[in-house]
Amino acid sequence: MFDEPFRWMEAISTRHSYVQEKLKKGQPVLAVPYKGGSLVMGFAAQPGKIFEVYDRIALGSLGHPADVERLRMTLLDMAHVEGFNRSDKDVTIARLLQFGIAPAMKQNFEEVMRAPYLVKLLFAEINFDNQPLFFRLNYDGHWETFKKGAVISGNEKESEWIQKQIEQTDFASLSLKQALKEACRLWEEGKKQSSPESEDADEQPTTLAEAFDRWTLEAAVLSTETERKVLYRVVAPDEIEPLKSAAK
Amino acid sequence: MSDKTDNYNNGSGDFIDLLERSGYSWPKAIAGLTSIDKAALTQGTTVLAFHFKGGAIVAGDRRATAGNSIMYDRCDKVIAIDDYSLMAIAGVPATAFEMARILAHNFEYYRRSQLQPLSTEGKIRALSKLLKDNMGLAMQGVGAVSPIFASYDKKEAKPYIYFYDILGAQFEIQTHTATGSGSPVIRGILEYEDLWGDQRLAERDFKQAAKLAIRLLQTAGQFDSATGQARPEDNIYPVIASITDQGYRFMPEDELAVLFQESTKRK
Repeated sequence: MFDEPFRWMEAISTRHSYVQEKLKKGQPVLAVPYKGGSLVMGFAAQPGKIFEVYDRIALGSLGHPADVERLRMTLLDMAHVEGFNRSDKDVTIARLLQFGIAPAMKQNFEEVMRAPYLVKLLFAEINFDNQPLFFRLNYDGHWETFKKGAVISGNEKESEWIQKQIEQTDFASLSLKQALKEACRLWEEGKKQSSPESEDADEQPTTLAEAFDRWTLEAAVLSTETERKVLYRVVAPDEIEPLKSAAK
Repeated sequence: MSDKTDNYNNGSGDFIDLLERSGYSWPKAIAGLTSIDKAALTQGTTVLAFHFKGGAIVAGDRRATAGNSIMYDRCDKVIAIDDYSLMAIAGVPATAFEMARILAHNFEYYRRSQLQPLSTEGKIRALSKLLKDNMGLAMQGVGAVSPIFASYDKKEAKPYIYFYDILGAQFEIQTHTATGSGSPVIRGILEYEDLWGDQRLAERDFKQAAKLAIRLLQTAGQFDSATGQARPEDNIYPVIASITDQGYRFMPEDELAVLFQESTKRK
């Protein structure tokens, strides 16, 4: 079936289209720095977009929940075995991606007879110099690094616009409250920039008020202000409540 | 990807199981070992824990010995396992530190993978299981550990203190406990303080509790050569930690230096 190179390239191209179509409705997840660490946030109809991977690593995701879960568990296993066998200082996203999950995802994507992973992943990390780092991993294993923050979304236009805004915003000088507010604003503005890409796109919330009404805002921080070893903390409902009230 | 993932998780949240599948094995009893020079083994003493108002205090001296030799005077025998759990070790540090490392990864791995913290009961049993797995070495006299485990249960809003014997039996402590070679000296004082002191131990605030812990460890060091007394001139103080509804907290050195002077001042 794939004995001619063209057939294989065609299959890969079809696979890209298939995965992108499946991810089209994926809601944005933003990861940005703030004065006291890094913030990861996103709205979701079902909770399960933002997770803790290791002491200083957070994960944001969109896509099929089963695929997100499988990759999340693989990351957790790799991080914890490495942290135990060597040191927590040896557990970094760059190592987990470059030597662990990214090559495996690429291989998976190019094995066209196997089901592809329907995911996009976003990582935030605070390194041991207390500097924030951001990474984005695509379903085909391609990954990128960012200094000022990053976003993933199923809608390319939306993603590009929000990414541009993140690059232009000095999130690192904002307090957590301000950064969360600004990230929510970008989420809402991003919706306006994106053209509906699916038939039922108009059924999804496009304003903050609708999003707060129908979905859950998931948010977590990697805080450099804590004395604990584990920097990850879920943003508490009382920290989100003022935004919710203001959006109404 | 499937090969990689198949080698790893099975979704149980059990880190020890994951470690074993990754090639790790707990040291077993050594076949044919008839005798060992126990004086050559590094040992650690003395640690204590008791309930105070709002939490539990866990403290330890800093000395590690091998027979009559002082091996180290800056040993940290109170170890944070997770945000709400502390373990204090007495016995062979090589084994005890390994247990603490496994437990720390175990609890965090469970919490992160299962998206909920391990129950306090589960935490308590996890240490018991490690001690049982270590029975062979403990019985041969080369790896005995006698720990104290303290954890704050957020759901119950209550601190728990457990003492373990070297074979893994666990005992819940209502008031106070101590272990290690200096413990006989201070157990009596703790009991006396709880029954006939100015206040019950559980009614004392953190500062009063910390002062008592400092005095107890100084006293243990007076009568037990394997317990190290503080050396303020070298900034060596005992480790004083607490767990409350806010999680664990280790008393910083600058606070300890002041409290140590206050606690050891003669009347």
